[in-house]
Amino acid sequence: MRISLPILLAGSSWLLASEAYAAYGPAPKYAVADLPATLRENAHAVIRRQEETLLVKSVGRTVETTHRAVTILDEVGARWASELVYYSSLNTISYFRGAVYDATGRQLRQLRTQDIHDISLSDGFSLATDARGRVADLSQPTYPYTVEFEYEVISDNPLFYSTWRPQPVEQLAVEQASFKVTMPAGMALRYQEQHLPTGTAQTKRTQGSQEIYEWQVHDLAAREEEADAPPVAELTPAVFTAPTEFEVQGHAGRLSNWADLSRWTYDLNAGRDELPPAIKAGIAALVQGETDERAKIRKVYHFLQANTRYISVQLGLGGWQTFPASSVAANGYGDCKALTNYCKALLGAAGIKAHAALVKAGSDEQDILTSFPSSQFNHVVLCVPLAQSTKPDTVWLECTSQTNPFGYMGGFTGNRHALLLLPEGGKLIPTPRYGAAENRRERLANVFLDVNGDATATLRTIRTGLEYDGVSGLPGLELAEQKKRISNRLALPNFTLNKVAFKHSGPEATIPSLTESLALTMPALAPPSGKRVFITPNLLSRMAPPQATVGERQTDLWLDHAFTQQDTVMLHVPASLHPEQLPAPVQLTTQFGTYSSQLLALPDGSIRYVRRLVMPRTRFTRTDYPAYLEFRRKISAADKAQIVLLKTDA
Amino acid sequence: MLSGLAGRPHYVQAQEAPIKFGKLDAKEAATLLASPTPDSAAAEVLCDFGQSTIQGANGRFELRFERTARLLIRRAAGYEHATVHVLLYHDPKEGGREEIQQLKGLTYNLTGTTLSKEPLRTEAVFSRKIDERLDEYAFTLPNVREGSILEFTYLVRSPFLFNLQDWQFQQDIPVRWSEYRTVIPSFYRYKELSRTYWPFTINETSAKFYTTTYREPTRNSYGTTTEASDKTYNINTQALTRRWAVKNLPAFRPEPFMTTRRDYLSRVDFELERIQFDPQHAPQFIAGSWAEIEKELLEDEKFGQYLKATTSLSTNTAALRNLPNLTERAHAVRQLVLQQVAYTNTPSYLARPGSTPRRIVDQRQGNAAEVNLLLIAALRTAGLDAQPLLLSTRQHGQVQTELPVVSQFNYVVAHVALPDNKELLLDATDASLPPALLPESCLNAQGRLLGPAGRWVNLMDTAPHLLYTHAQLTATPQGELRGSIRQEYAGYAASEHRRPLSELRQQWQQAHPDWQISKAEVSSPDVARPVALELTAALPGAEAPAATLYLRPLQQLLMTANPFRHAERLYPVDFATVQRIEYATDLTLPAGYVVAELPANMQLVLPNGGGRFLFSITQPTPQTLALVGRIHLLKTRYSAEEYHAIRELYAKAVTKFAEPIVLQRQ
Repeated sequence: MRISLPILLAGSSWLLASEAYAAYGPAPKYAVADLPATLRENAHAVIRRQEETLLVKSVGRTVETTHRAVTILDEVGARWASELVYYSSLNTISYFRGAVYDATGRQLRQLRTQDIHDISLSDGFSLATDARGRVADLSQPTYPYTVEFEYEVISDNPLFYSTWRPQPVEQLAVEQASFKVTMPAGMALRYQEQHLPTGTAQTKRTQGSQEIYEWQVHDLAAREEEADAPPVAELTPAVFTAPTEFEVQGHAGRLSNWADLSRWTYDLNAGRDELPPAIKAGIAALVQGETDERAKIRKVYHFLQANTRYISVQLGLGGWQTFPASSVAANGYGDCKALTNYCKALLGAAGIKAHAALVKAGSDEQDILTSFPSSQFNHVVLCVPLAQSTKPDTVWLECTSQTNPFGYMGGFTGNRHALLLLPEGGKLIPTPRYGAAENRRERLANVFLDVNGDATATLRTIRTGLEYDGVSGLPGLELAEQKKRISNRLALPNFTLNKVAFKHSGPEATIPSLTESLALTMPALAPPSGKRVFITPNLLSRMAPPQATVGERQTDLWLDHAFTQQDTVMLHVPASLHPEQLPAPVQLTTQFGTYSSQLLALPDGSIRYVRRLVMPRTRFTRTDYPAYLEFRRKISAADKAQIVLLKTDA
Repeated sequence: MLSGLAGRPHYVQAQEAPIKFGKLDAKEAATLLASPTPDSAAAEVLCDFGQSTIQGANGRFELRFERTARLLIRRAAGYEHATVHVLLYHDPKEGGREEIQQLKGLTYNLTGTTLSKEPLRTEAVFSRKIDERLDEYAFTLPNVREGSILEFTYLVRSPFLFNLQDWQFQQDIPVRWSEYRTVIPSFYRYKELSRTYWPFTINETSAKFYTTTYREPTRNSYGTTTEASDKTYNINTQALTRRWAVKNLPAFRPEPFMTTRRDYLSRVDFELERIQFDPQHAPQFIAGSWAEIEKELLEDEKFGQYLKATTSLSTNTAALRNLPNLTERAHAVRQLVLQQVAYTNTPSYLARPGSTPRRIVDQRQGNAAEVNLLLIAALRTAGLDAQPLLLSTRQHGQVQTELPVVSQFNYVVAHVALPDNKELLLDATDASLPPALLPESCLNAQGRLLGPAGRWVNLMDTAPHLLYTHAQLTATPQGELRGSIRQEYAGYAASEHRRPLSELRQQWQQAHPDWQISKAEVSSPDVARPVALELTAALPGAEAPAATLYLRPLQQLLMTANPFRHAERLYPVDFATVQRIEYATDLTLPAGYVVAELPANMQLVLPNGGGRFLFSITQPTPQTLALVGRIHLLKTRYSAEEYHAIRELYAKAVTKFAEPIVLQRQ
């Protein structure tokens, strides 16, 4: 049986409603027995009822409410038993209430003010931030139980409207969820829907002078996590909303297209690029005589890197507006906006025009929703079009890092869209792409095996592109820490790392690379077993197959990380050992990628193993998954192939 | 000791400070820059100097903590050290707050022979509320570049005399000189807890003449005070001066298998022991023996009140008095508490201020003290002799048993005395554990039992972390292995594996990627018994049958790599429990094949009874082999030297497991 809804639809708060029943004891709510079995399957928690509303009061203010009841089925689902509500200098919490119910739906208790804790949400790197939160925890000693939270946040930052995502994670089912947006007269809502189940149409009605939009979903079964799948946020229902006009602390703007957002952000930051005369003169001197445009930009960028550092300050509108260039010149530090603005001013002093560009940065972040102009960004970089170049060419600069290679975006800001900030209104443009050709890991191993089966080895590994990202910080660490990190990721049974050295690519490289040279000892790598010695020549690049899906594959196959791996292993064996058996070469060419491995006994008695794997960035339908699994299993089998060496003097 | 305003202030010759703020010149800077930073670190502390004193103030005494430091930034990776965080305490109820004053900073940059000097700007200082009692001040120095030398200095004035600032000598970057001094007048006394793996270069105690001015506000008839009418006293007495310094400390880097960094870092901590202004009269404050600590705790509403409380919980447990077996009765009480109160994952030996036993039972959740003090109260109601046992969790650090200092603890469990000198330790925060086991985080040397039989109780005599695998496998002529694998998690391993089947299966698969699982089941009947994962699985072989087969059933099931990866070890290894890994495999040979070669049996032992490795293989029938592998680590603490022996033992084991069984087709 469903819980009756009228109380909520009447618009009154559930707590008030429950007080009305107080004389008779509150009526049971959310009994676990009422939950359909289909919603319990694979679920650690079930959203019983969730109502989110967005009330747009004016161009300068929004009110968001959330009312959520979640039945927690087990320990893993207990993360839903606590709630964190964010606030800052631009957002205030007007109320925050909660209650908890036992499995039969009997209310155990209500949340009291003293149970709600106020915390600072330090991101761990900001010097100053006004981000704060209120947290409440209603976890219970036994399962299942149901928690209910209700809160309202008033925002003076209506650049952001809500995104409704009723099923944000795997292993969470949804019984019923709704989203309601109320717009005042004369203000239009922009919205975009994603994966709404058929029949869950949006309804729109007029109430007085207000326009009301509503969406609902119900009975969404929990999803299972699958290997190589798109992120769950892309697969479940969502409604994105955005303003057409807004005002943040006196800065009014329109937002119908990307150009609007570009212009507003540009204007907010305009006129803050005045440099002290000494710096101007210094830059002019720095680039004097340099005729090559790219070389000039590089000199300015290196000046920036040598003289500034990144400090995050996130206070109010400061999240959107830069500190003036003069402040960076005086202090030698700034946040991403300030350092980008400063670099733009420095380039200006060198006679080069550059544009700031907003991006959604992060190595795990998906690209923005390009079809829905709205504020989706968290970072800013600099885009420098090359004016003298014959074909269109652009240098991209990350201004917050002292070590980032010139012109390199990498996994943090590459492979996505950025919004150019221009006074006339800019558009979205792609940042540099890094594919299988750019993201390479090439390794040469020389392994020297002795008659006892102990070995020494030298490894030289070059990593470029996104493969470089993961190791770019290593050379900056002290030696002991370098050894520790490298030892942690070498997939060898027994070894001692003796030597570590690094070499960066030169400043001219378009795609940066790092060469890592290691020397190791590997005791008992291949001890003789009777007359024979066994060795797996693929020392370090064995790839296990993905986990088999339990049941039918649900989601697309999404291979978003493109790379090329090339391994050459030179196996130097004692003269007394000769190969008895060399595995046959393997060549796999599929739509998912290509793989080859082959072994060759060389005339000098050594054995050469070459393995190559190229995986482009691709996407396939779920029906292609079995073929992909087969490809990966074959790779895994080939990667494990062993050489058998025979002692000839025995 | 208090006397009216009399005599001239007495100045004592102070020992020279190792650093003075703002006095660096170009020549010294050049010398510092020329001397290489140890261990290629990105930054280093050249000098860190702190002093704490107590001074008279208006109507009270206060602690003054001054700190002056100088750092050298070598590379951009060290820039984070140009930002400094200072925590300041305040009392929201009684009032009073710590204040930071006289904050100054300088960035020196040497260009040629010119040393530039730029001051810290006020706009670079930020404060932030962390919680009801703590604020954080953060400041960052300007124009920091590779090769910058930074200095900062500040004073913290504190009315909280219990909060004499601790000092940490060692940091995440190398420290050339770290020094701390305290000057404590005789009417205050603090206990010290110092620990270091690196010898103190200086560790001195002396006495000196001490003088301070204390102003006593007098109230006029309107109840307000005016400075003119205040009485001012000059106090002259002896002070105890302490001085510690450590030279050339390496950067602290955590190593695997440690408790908490606090146990390894060189540091000194303090606890207020006594306040006594007049030797003729009783002390104003005294914290001394365990008995006194206990007395205070029992009077503290955040502790004692819980032991006396009558709640619905204790009422329910009274019924359990009928259970004749005392151990079973105690376990039943624990079970009841587990079901009634959830643990909020907050270790504490005290209940939260303002909370009451009744409210905890009503809210059905509490911190460690709230849960376990209620447990003790319930055990008593059930007629058992239960007392609190204070302990420090592994994350909180080791306890120095010779020092009766209560802040060493952060957790409390129940101790039940049974007839015949038997005892039980009980905790009701983790339902995944059997009643006989304390949470793994509690396994930290010894705990302090309160009550008439107050003493130290060993916490380490407990169950092992035990992994037991039994596989029944059949080999095919292709070299495929298939069959059933029973993976048992027992002792402390059981609680961490009391998880849903899907999670256990995924975890096993990740550790054994080459196996293909066709069926998985889990049985975890109750917390007293092990968790058993039953798998039907196969390890693929070659495509075609081979005349000679090389099989490594243990390598694939057991470990493929040595978990002790690092050749270097500076600090001791500290495990919560002893560890046992045991494997037994029955292998059926493919028809028509015979054994050509078998790996030799092996047995190794660690020195000092530290552990052993055993491998054996037998052939009970012509068609079957029985393999056994065992690795036992029988101690919980190993010295840095012993670490190398463990690493070697595992290396030998990994190699042994990789040796093939060679089969030949007949």
